[in-house]
Amino acid sequence: MPDDVRLWSDELARDPSSLVFLPLAESLRRQGQLDVARKVAVRGLERHPHNPDAHDQLARIQADRGDLQSAFDEWDMVLRLVPGHVGAIKGMAFVRFQQGRLDEAEKLLMQAQGTFDDIDISAAIATVRRSSGVTVGQVAAGDLPTDPHLLFADILADDQTAIMLDKDGLVLAGAYYSANGEDVAQEVGASLSGVSDEALRATKHLGIGAWRSILFETEAATVSLAPAPERGAAAGGLMVVAAAPATPLGQLRPLLDRCVSRANVWLDLAV
Amino acid sequence: MSDFTAVLDALTRQRGVRGSLVVSANDGIPVDSNLQFGQDGNRVAALAAFLYRKARKSAQAAGLGGIGFMQLEAESGRLCIIGGDEIILVVVAERSANVGLIRVEMLRAAEALA
Repeated sequence: MPDDVRLWSDELARDPSSLVFLPLAESLRRQGQLDVARKVAVRGLERHPHNPDAHDQLARIQADRGDLQSAFDEWDMVLRLVPGHVGAIKGMAFVRFQQGRLDEAEKLLMQAQGTFDDIDISAAIATVRRSSGVTVGQVAAGDLPTDPHLLFADILADDQTAIMLDKDGLVLAGAYYSANGEDVAQEVGASLSGVSDEALRATKHLGIGAWRSILFETEAATVSLAPAPERGAAAGGLMVVAAAPATPLGQLRPLLDRCVSRANVWLDLAV
Repeated sequence: MSDFTAVLDALTRQRGVRGSLVVSANDGIPVDSNLQFGQDGNRVAALAAFLYRKARKSAQAAGLGGIGFMQLEAESGRLCIIGGDEIILVVVAERSANVGLIRVEMLRAAEALA
């Protein structure tokens, strides 16, 4: 193995654009030379920024170094380059498991299983479920908070916020906190009124089917919108979730789904 | 041939991209377009600009700062938007298109247009 490292290092010195940095970084990682491995992978990525294997390699090195969020972000980039990449989804699930975010880990593993079913993924799902005791979406109606402002509180991280709006932009549930801690849900709701109708019009005009989500990045947060459940006061409304900009874009959709699922249970009670 | 032609051509060459437009952000009027589908560019421009303005307004209401990349995802396609105060860049893409790459190309194009 050291001979291989020398050979690959020599080749990389001769041709810095060579893809040989991939086996070199992996070999260094396996030898525990994580800082050197990281440098090799980062330099390789500078020359091959769209190479999914390079992002995957850096993610594994960062995970070994204990920099879990950085590893997660790299795997998220792999997924953007190669949608459905099972290795990346499994890696992201591993990070979430290590961070104690078990429901997110389970959702990711279910996603991986949907793409590529193998015994490792099934075993991992079983492990997560044993650790959490409760699976995603299993919330009893009686466990819901009585204050509608707190409807999504327990499924959001500290840097996330969510509201459900009716078709006129009025707040039905949730709270939307600005950076200074002020609840600006009414203001945000009013500014988003009409979005659902216009999204419907846009997708109809383009012939691209029903709209599923709108996502936009801002300086202070990433905001995602989805149609609210088509029931009762929520019909024609919006679900709005905002998260810190560092939140991987791929994580927002599952979070939106969980909020919509919670809203469904709440709307059942309201009927 | 406008100042935007090369940028729009490069975007429309991306796999899964059906068209791209440069649109006036405030009134939704198309400035230039490269559409590979038989749709009315004026309508697409107006709809995209409306959604962009709404997102910008809600971001202002929440004190979130300026808007970067924006995406509307539907069952079989996507509308991607990026822009500034004056103009926005709009891409219509298929659902299977690699949105990560489109985002990178749009950010690059937006820099070139700035």
